[in-house]
Amino acid sequence: MRLPIIGYVLSDVIVSWIITLIIGGFLLWWLTAKRKWPLILDYIGTTDNRKIGTMYILFAILFFIRGGMDAMFIRTQLAVPDNDFWVFQADKYNEVFTTHGTVMIFFVAMPLLIGLMNIAVPLQLGANDLAFPYLNAISFWLFVSGAFIFNMAFFFNAAPNAGWTAYAPLSNDTFTSGPNNNYYIFGLQISGLGTIFTAINMIVTIARLRAPGMKLSRMPLFPWATLVTSSLILVAFPVLTVALLLLMFDRFYGTSFFGGEFGSPVYWQHLFWIFGHPEVYILVLPAFGIFSDIISTFSRKRIYGYTSMVISITLIGLLGFMVWAHHMFTVGLGALANSVFAITTMLIAVPTGIKVFNWLFTMRKGVVRMTTPMLFALGFIPTFVIGGVTGVMLAVAAADYQYHDSYFVVAHFHYTMIGGTILGAFAGIYYWYPKMTGKMLNEKLGKWHFWLFIIGFHLTFLPQHFAGLNGMPRRVFTYTWEDGVFLFNFVSTIGAYLMGISMLFVLWNLFKTHRSGTSSVDGDPWDGRTLEWTTDSPAPEHPFPNVPVVDRLDAYWYAKVNQTNLPQTKDVRPDPISIRTFQPILLAGVLMVMSIGFIYHWMWLQILGGGSVLAFFLIRSWTDERNEAYRKGEKS
Amino acid sequence: MKQMSDVLFLDKRFGFFLYLVVEAIMFATLFATYIIFTPAERGAHPSEVFEWKTVALTSIFLLSSSGTLLMAEKGLKNWSRKWIWVGLVTTFLLGAIFMGLEIHEFYKYAHEGYTLSMNNFLGAFYVLVGLHASHVAFGLGWMINLMIQFTKDMPRALFIEKHKIFNYYWHFVDVVWVLIVTIVYLPYLF
Amino acid sequence: MKKTGWILTLFLLSGCSLRVLDPASPYADKITRLIYLSFGIMMLVFVVVMILFVHFLKKFHETSDRVDEIPVDESGNRKLEITWTVLPVLLLVILAVPTVTTTYQLTSGASQGEGGQDKERVIIHVKAEQFRWEFTYEGGEVSYDKLVLPLDKEVELRLTSEDVIHSFWAPNLAGKIDVFPDKETRLVFTANKLGDFQGKCAEFCGSHHALMRFETTVMEASAYETWLQDQ
Ligand code: HEA
Ligand code: HEA
Ligand code: CUA
Ligand SMILES: [Cu+2]
Repeated sequence: MRLPIIGYVLSDVIVSWIITLIIGGFLLWWLTAKRKWPLILDYIGTTDNRKIGTMYILFAILFFIRGGMDAMFIRTQLAVPDNDFWVFQADKYNEVFTTHGTVMIFFVAMPLLIGLMNIAVPLQLGANDLAFPYLNAISFWLFVSGAFIFNMAFFFNAAPNAGWTAYAPLSNDTFTSGPNNNYYIFGLQISGLGTIFTAINMIVTIARLRAPGMKLSRMPLFPWATLVTSSLILVAFPVLTVALLLLMFDRFYGTSFFGGEFGSPVYWQHLFWIFGHPEVYILVLPAFGIFSDIISTFSRKRIYGYTSMVISITLIGLLGFMVWAHHMFTVGLGALANSVFAITTMLIAVPTGIKVFNWLFTMRKGVVRMTTPMLFALGFIPTFVIGGVTGVMLAVAAADYQYHDSYFVVAHFHYTMIGGTILGAFAGIYYWYPKMTGKMLNEKLGKWHFWLFIIGFHLTFLPQHFAGLNGMPRRVFTYTWEDGVFLFNFVSTIGAYLMGISMLFVLWNLFKTHRSGTSSVDGDPWDGRTLEWTTDSPAPEHPFPNVPVVDRLDAYWYAKVNQTNLPQTKDVRPDPISIRTFQPILLAGVLMVMSIGFIYHWMWLQILGGGSVLAFFLIRSWTDERNEAYRKGEKS
Repeated sequence: MKQMSDVLFLDKRFGFFLYLVVEAIMFATLFATYIIFTPAERGAHPSEVFEWKTVALTSIFLLSSSGTLLMAEKGLKNWSRKWIWVGLVTTFLLGAIFMGLEIHEFYKYAHEGYTLSMNNFLGAFYVLVGLHASHVAFGLGWMINLMIQFTKDMPRALFIEKHKIFNYYWHFVDVVWVLIVTIVYLPYLF
Repeated sequence: MKKTGWILTLFLLSGCSLRVLDPASPYADKITRLIYLSFGIMMLVFVVVMILFVHFLKKFHETSDRVDEIPVDESGNRKLEITWTVLPVLLLVILAVPTVTTTYQLTSGASQGEGGQDKERVIIHVKAEQFRWEFTYEGGEVSYDKLVLPLDKEVELRLTSEDVIHSFWAPNLAGKIDVFPDKETRLVFTANKLGDFQGKCAEFCGSHHALMRFETTVMEASAYETWLQDQ
């Protein structure tokens, strides 16, 4: 469609603008009519971990709908051979799967997990907040900023189109000129910075803010997983940062690290996967932690083999750095390299297997309660095992010459990422919802959600293994009748719609729960085992006026069993200082301005944005909340 | 119960050390990039580009600035305003001279036609050394800010905290420079 | 359990017709065997997990008379944990040995082919560019998006790219090999079945990646020679 001034635009962009404007306008009206603005302002200016966690999850769900719509477009275009659905062919299709993959990984899976960490980790440790509340707000708004930059691209008809892996030289300006992949670089760069800060925050919190008596060996498994994950982030994300920086120099300033006459495309792949493989364990380890807590709670038994669980996650984390080249088996690194990486990759099955069997044996001789969070945890076990064992099949280097870049791989990673991360996040959301909001989600709708989702999921992704084995490469927008993959794809599309429908139950559930003002729940609705259940629901800003003293794993549970109370103490270290501040959202704003300057090569905007960022450091330094706090503290 | 500022400082220090780990990994990746692409098959060879005089001069100024900063640290310990001033100002001056030499070096190379798009050795060189230089520049701004804060009324514990964090930063940047000299320059100087 | 059965039947029903599992060269055949072996091991693992899973759920789910029951605590069991550490290791060893040997056999570092050096190799130069394949035969004959191979003769493909990374994939004949702009990669195999086989570009390479396909035809050696003459 040709528009005046703007030029040629495809109709999907126009439709999206219209829909977004309508929904946006409605939202503004609704917020004003219901006098919700003070509440919004309260959240924007907060440094409270529970509120920030809740916002993480809200935004993640928003982006899940966005990434999910992309998935629906993918599946609709692929439903039948030689299809021409709307505009989603060739470049447009490439944009859709690129945004789908990137959004799902960086703006759905990561924030869902980080949101849950924000809510649950300090509470489980008996801490009143994260170690650096202000930094936490910065992290959150950097994530929002990065996500907005990335999602903006589509509305300006410039969505990234080189795959979530952005392989060079395709991602260089020689082959993809235009702003598209600049959006990718800056979206990831800025949200990645936020992720790094979160990791630092989590490590310091876990290292220094645990309740008295809570040795590392008495810490629940979700904080343990968070600790290991954060360490992985600390090592993996800087590599991504540098890779993106070098790619930016290639695209902007005429270097040729990854392409051109002198460059090495394979070097990009190394850098990307040195980040990218640990990233997939960053995505799954927190989910493992959530499942451990949930399975133990709803079996009314302590987790089986606690020590080996801890050792396993640590081992998975360590091994995760030694396997990256299993994404590059077909690059021609040679038989020796391929064999070594094949074996290290297979080794990861061992610690993961230990975890699987420990979960199973936690249920043995327990009392297994079929609540919604537990259903998700139970659905996870077979699903993830399928995804894991197909991973081991992929690790067979010679066989991967066939699987690589086929739908077999697509099936594998959806089994692990949805079966692990997304089911884990859903389980965590149902489980900790009372801590976030003081209300319980409706169990019946939750179960509908679970069953539709899990059935839809297997319908979608099981057939894709066979499509891959029948020679269907990934990232193709069409196929022919002769390819013999119609049935697999058609079933897959049906399944995808089922997943979409299941998500409507979530929206309905949220709506219903908050509409019908159901009476609030008490602090411990699930009969839990860990410290978060000793606080009120929702958790107040200062949840532990007196901090419980812990003498064993699951101390709260044993106190309940013995019908005593946990001893408490006031004699603890000082709390981190929380404040109200609008600086973080300001920083997010100026970073966005600066990024747009770079994306479109507008020098003046780069300088303006960059200068504002530097000025921001000064403002921060001069409004340090410690100024007042120390002044008070030192006089007394 | 411990003083609030003591405990919060330890939190902050631990957090900042973790941040330095992040920086270290970024620099390590850039060092790897440099090593992989140097010397390049075509275009300038490092030995024609580098000259030992600049390297020696810049190193002298930057490394001695780590030493002068120790004076300020001593001043912090005994709370001697004089030593803090002396330490900060000399460190700043030395850093600023380093910065000037660095800019001059880049300017000269570019003038001789050794631009960052000539080959990947130069590309990696400019990105790596440029990132380090921008760290020095940021540190200079940070010191000015510290000096202004020193003249203002601020809880002593807070000033000490801010100063100490800066010290870690500056020493870190110095260590990176030592690595740059040994990995980037030295192998091609003689 | 139902799910397992379903996978199995689906697999068996379609197994023989799936291209990857329908090899037309010793190269592809080796991979097919490897896939079946790994699939077998994985099914074993999956079935064991499912049996425990279903059994524990059946036996220990909450019933109305167990609502207030507090099960006895157990923190773990050394022997069991060692069992499920050692058994997977054993399974992985069984898998790793053929993995490594096959990987060494199939990874054409160039010189080493499947059948040793003595056989004569047909060398074909493959040039990939957005979005077509160019095949240059030994006599300088050229064909586009169509690769013709002689039956039972070892061929060596030497692949380069004009622009971005592509990947050569003819599932019945051999695994993928990526095609780079800055270096040459090689692929060695021997087609041992007559017929037409699909080939595709497997590495995402831009707007029409999906359409970057080629047809591979395996002919009797004599027919191959005549075909070359006609080019
Ligand atoms: C959450 C994310 C996640 C997780 C957890 C995993 C886990 C694993 N992955 Fe996966 N993987 C991805 C996400 C993930 N992966 C993504 C996103 C890609 C594609 C990226 C792209 O190209 O776009 C990918 C691609 C990928 C490849 C490259 C394929 C290719 O492109 O050619 C390989 C190859 O080795 C691989 C292997 C593995 C293995 C061995 C595991 C193991 O960790 C699995 C271990 C688990 C088990 C094995 C199950 C439980 C164990 C037992 C019950 C014990 C007994 C088991 C045995 C004896 C086998 N993965
Ligand atoms: C955590 C990560 C994650 C998740 C959750 C998903 C979820 C889904 N993915 Fe995704 N996928 C990836 C990560 C993920 N994916 C990655 C990394 C790639 C590779 C990209 C690349 O190659 O670069 C990929 C690629 C990929 C492909 C291959 C594309 C190709 O190679 O050509 C396909 C095809 O079927 C697919 C399908 C789906 C489907 C159907 C879902 C479904 O589960 C989605 C379900 C969700 C919804 C359906 C949204 C729900 C909401 C609604 C519908 C509500 C209605 C709306 C309103 C009321 C406003 N994905
Ligand atoms: Cu060529 Cu894909
Ligand atoms: Cu991987």
